[in-house]
Amino acid sequence: MNQIKVKKPIFRQKKSEKSTSPIKLELLITVVEKKKADFYADLIQSYNANMQLKVLARGAAGSEILEYLGLAATDKIVLLSPVRKDKRDEIMDALEEKFKTIKNGKGISVAIPLSSVIGKQVFGFLADDERLIKE
Amino acid sequence: MEEKKYETIFCIINAGFSETVMDAAREAGARGGTVMSGHGTANKEAEQLYKITVQSEKEIVMIIVESKIKDEVLKAINKAAGLNSPGRGIVFSLPVTRAVGLAGNQSEGTEKNA
Repeated sequence: MNQIKVKKPIFRQKKSEKSTSPIKLELLITVVEKKKADFYADLIQSYNANMQLKVLARGAAGSEILEYLGLAATDKIVLLSPVRKDKRDEIMDALEEKFKTIKNGKGISVAIPLSSVIGKQVFGFLADDERLIKE
Repeated sequence: MEEKKYETIFCIINAGFSETVMDAAREAGARGGTVMSGHGTANKEAEQLYKITVQSEKEIVMIIVESKIKDEVLKAINKAAGLNSPGRGIVFSLPVTRAVGLAGNQSEGTEKNA
């Protein structure tokens, strides 16, 4: 009995499709007082961070620590902002400056590296890279 | 000045168990955290088949800790609120390349090999 051999399709990524962008992205997670969220979102956006996600949250520090830090209110906003790695320090320096100087403007911010993003346009949007705008 | 390295611990847990997570984390050396609300999803057919109800209201607890105590905090949270506890917590950590605004931390540039 003749057996028909079926060739399985092999999916290989073409060399031209490989990600070669030198621009890396990091996710900036910033926790601030609810009332100051818009201010900090605008500040981050002013550094060409095109997308911000605001998530309502509450602080979970012990009361002693809250008193020590002068943080009475526990309503928080978590700002999630994908930013370019080369812009990260500039943005975080600005945030640190504002955390120290603005009344009731204390907060924390951490940067976490992103390993991959799918979609050239999405990447262009997040990295503010105009070369990737679809014509 | 010696640079401190940080990790961010995330714990996804049934609503109402965030204090259990924070208590365990504090005992292991963490100082504070942030709690966000979320909504979990599960396979409805599997739930009916196994007669198990997965609580959909979730809380996400985010805790920033020094890297040197990360393992202790993860273990403590897993013991108090892991998958085998009523909280059904999933705990993981992500690396932090830089942190600002943390109390008692003056040298926040932590990136070495990112």
